[in-house]
Amino acid sequence: MKVKIVEWHGFSTWHWKLAADGDANSSAYVDELCGICRVAFDGTCPNCKYPGDDCPIVLGSGCTHNFHLHCIVKWLEQDTSKGLCPMCRQIFTYKESYPDMTEELANLKTLIDGHRVMRERYTEDNQEFEAFEEET
Amino acid sequence: MAGGRHPFYKRLLKEYKSLSTNSLSGITMVKNDENLTEFIFRIEVTNHTLYKKEDLFHLSIIITSEYPVDSPRVQFVIFDEIVIDDDDKDSKGSENKDTVVVPNGVPKIPIHPHVYSNGHICLNLLGEDWTPACSIESVLLSIQSMLNTNDKNERPPDDAAYVKRAPLNPKSTTFIYHDDTV
Repeated sequence: MKVKIVEWHGFSTWHWKLAADGDANSSAYVDELCGICRVAFDGTCPNCKYPGDDCPIVLGSGCTHNFHLHCIVKWLEQDTSKGLCPMCRQIFTYKESYPDMTEELANLKTLIDGHRVMRERYTEDNQEFEAFEEET
Repeated sequence: MAGGRHPFYKRLLKEYKSLSTNSLSGITMVKNDENLTEFIFRIEVTNHTLYKKEDLFHLSIIITSEYPVDSPRVQFVIFDEIVIDDDDKDSKGSENKDTVVVPNGVPKIPIHPHVYSNGHICLNLLGEDWTPACSIESVLLSIQSMLNTNDKNERPPDDAAYVKRAPLNPKSTTFIYHDDTV
């Protein structure tokens, strides 16, 4: 018997590899949510329509907290964030695991660097700051 | 923000659902708007020497357009829950979609060394220590525990001066968090 394939449709699924030890088969993390928008990592941040490379995940390297790139950028843009991770308040740094430096990633880097400079400046001027607070 | 959904509507919806299903003990949602950006909660403090059963404390939580990157606007308010008396209920009982038990009592601003008499609250979580990992629930729990653990029958030392010049929105005030003991 001969079978002639007239038409075929391919399907595939994907999800982000988030675990540091690379255990992509563990399904537990699929339920994990971005701590900022509370949407699954495999979903999108509120401003994006399609999950995937257009709405990438940033892996925290100092702590182990991950976020949608757009969400963490939004947070770090605030002065009040002081460059800290929203979940654990450690200084937020990320794994530079993406081959291409997109404009958005460059933006993230600038924000993190900016907060570091502010922190260093603050430590230098700390005594002046304290004097100021006592006055008010 | 009139009309249109909040950009983080999905998160708000999750928070709302969780608040309405697993209700927190002593905390009741008495009012919320369609967009899930304005809430009023009633906080009950039981077995407390300072706060009586008939004191009704209402907390207003307003979600700003930058939430959850920005903290919500939170303050105590004097709020009258509509009391439906029994006669009324009998005559058009079936029309009430759910029977809400409104406790009898007097709406008040709780007395607390960090709560001003205009309802503004000096709490680091609502200002510089806010992070997007906090939520409506964490705010409610913090404030409930703040009342629960209080044993001082006093207002903040600068209450009169602050209330006189205070902005309408407590988020416009720069609080200095100096007292970790209460």
